[in-house]
Amino acid sequence: MNKENNNLTEENPYVPKPYKVTDFYRETSDTFTITIDMKVKHDPGQFVQVTLPGIGEAPVSICSDSDKYIKLNIREVGNVTRALAKLKKGDTLLIRGPYGNGYPMEVLKGNNLLIIGGGCGVAPLKGVIDYVENHRDDYQEVQLVLGYRSPDDIIFKRELAEWKNKYNLQVTVDKNPQSKFCYDAKVGFVTEYLKEAHLSNENKVVFICGPPIMMKFVIDILKEKGFNDDQIFISAERLMYCGIGVCCHCMIHGKFTCLDGPVFRYDEVKDFKND
Amino acid sequence: MQVFRLEKKRLMPFLRKVMRSYELVAPVKTDLVRFEKIKNPKSICFEKPYFPVKGFFFKKHQVLFEFDGSRVKIPANNEPERVFFGLKKCDLNAIIRQDKVFLEDAEDPYYKASREKSFLLGFHCDEACSEYCFCGSMELVDFYDLMFYDKGNHFLVEEGSEKGRFLISKFKEFFKPVPRKITQEEKEIKGTDRLKKNSITHLYDHPGWQKDVENCFSCGACTALCPTCYCFEIHDEVKSSCLSKGCRKRCWSSCQLQSFTRVAGDHVFREKREERFKHRIFHQLGYFKEKYGMNLCVGCGRCIEGCPTRIDFIKTINEMEDEQRE
Repeated sequence: MNKENNNLTEENPYVPKPYKVTDFYRETSDTFTITIDMKVKHDPGQFVQVTLPGIGEAPVSICSDSDKYIKLNIREVGNVTRALAKLKKGDTLLIRGPYGNGYPMEVLKGNNLLIIGGGCGVAPLKGVIDYVENHRDDYQEVQLVLGYRSPDDIIFKRELAEWKNKYNLQVTVDKNPQSKFCYDAKVGFVTEYLKEAHLSNENKVVFICGPPIMMKFVIDILKEKGFNDDQIFISAERLMYCGIGVCCHCMIHGKFTCLDGPVFRYDEVKDFKND
Repeated sequence: MQVFRLEKKRLMPFLRKVMRSYELVAPVKTDLVRFEKIKNPKSICFEKPYFPVKGFFFKKHQVLFEFDGSRVKIPANNEPERVFFGLKKCDLNAIIRQDKVFLEDAEDPYYKASREKSFLLGFHCDEACSEYCFCGSMELVDFYDLMFYDKGNHFLVEEGSEKGRFLISKFKEFFKPVPRKITQEEKEIKGTDRLKKNSITHLYDHPGWQKDVENCFSCGACTALCPTCYCFEIHDEVKSSCLSKGCRKRCWSSCQLQSFTRVAGDHVFREKREERFKHRIFHQLGYFKEKYGMNLCVGCGRCIEGCPTRIDFIKTINEMEDEQRE
């Protein structure tokens, strides 16, 4: 009886594998982007669990679209992310994943895309933009509205210069006391820009990722402008521990952010409370 | 299912013989009743265990792996074959729920390692074990390898699985086949249907929760004592003598703690006690059922018995139901 293989080493979902850091780029005073030689198929919006042994594990969304590497944009806010900031090219770190439901890019072919990001929330959306870049013919008009706190907080400065030429790009900064250059940024919240902007909802889907309060107000404005709930995709923020729908930390109304999300179509989650 | 007769005076010899081949785990009364590895079967207590059995499968502390720098070593699987004796219907149904989470969904190798090597021997309750029981309201099912029914001078033992059949044949000198079935009436547990309606989704915004919320300390005793609650956290521990060496551990957690939904930047999603209190109840009696077709709660009442303020949410739900019906 019980002759089955009980080996814990086989397909153990909790055990990360080692990868090399191939590039480290400092974006702002508290954010950086690392490139890792992890060759894995993934969807934009999915995330990985990054381990620094002895410090811990942190979920980070993938901000690239390649089968040769993954890029992670990380903000130094906790123990693990602060320690990750000390990585150098050639260092090893442990990763498991990718996890979660990303943006359903395949299903959304043929649509106009409106991509709205706030601060760190721009990171997973960069994965979408890279994906669109690799499948440009599959999508129509692409509009980017990206909000940051100040010019010094702008991430992906190198990419913004490119996106400006390719897409309809609008950057906003909450404040710009020294009137620094930042891609013709408007001063004010993303929401203020969106309120004034002429937005057609025709044949369009919207991806929003940013602080919860920003997403809430952006959705309100989109609804006023005639967008339907099923045209809007949001990315939920929760702290994922297990990444495989067990530990319950990321549960919202019985749904697992790590499994059913982090990307949700708004009509599927709009009635959820803080439960 | 085939039924056997085991004379009561033969129970101890049977268990002693089981102990020669397996680790025997059963309820023991020390300060409180808990499941423990048995050294002498005479110490077995037939009262309802205060603590659940879940810690033998979903361990309170589980080393997921050890590390030395970025080298990872997965611990060997040393789980013994265990025979669990004295599991109540609620304990057994709790195992179904945890099986769903850890085996069907996640294929958790640690849970699987101990669960696969287990034999589940139930002990039928004729009536509610305590004033807190409400298993009769929870649509529990028959789930066991063997189930023992106390019939005065003997037990009737019902087979429930292949594993059960295997045990009976391995210890056949103790069991005499009886040409009868265990009737539905014999399977009933009297006085346990005190929850009037086990679907509560319509009650989320009801003000009736308030008095319970005010009595709650968010201490997490309910989730620790719950035989089905399965949330956990993961953290690293390093050796103080060598900081690059250590292990990653998973430990029980509780959705009742404020830190449970804290994210980077110190934002807490379920900051209010009310939100956390309701999250547990609604996970137990709502969300889980939406996903798996059965309530997570098995009606054992341990969360009420172990609550420092004895919050009886069953009473509260009944009151709200009654009020809505009026």
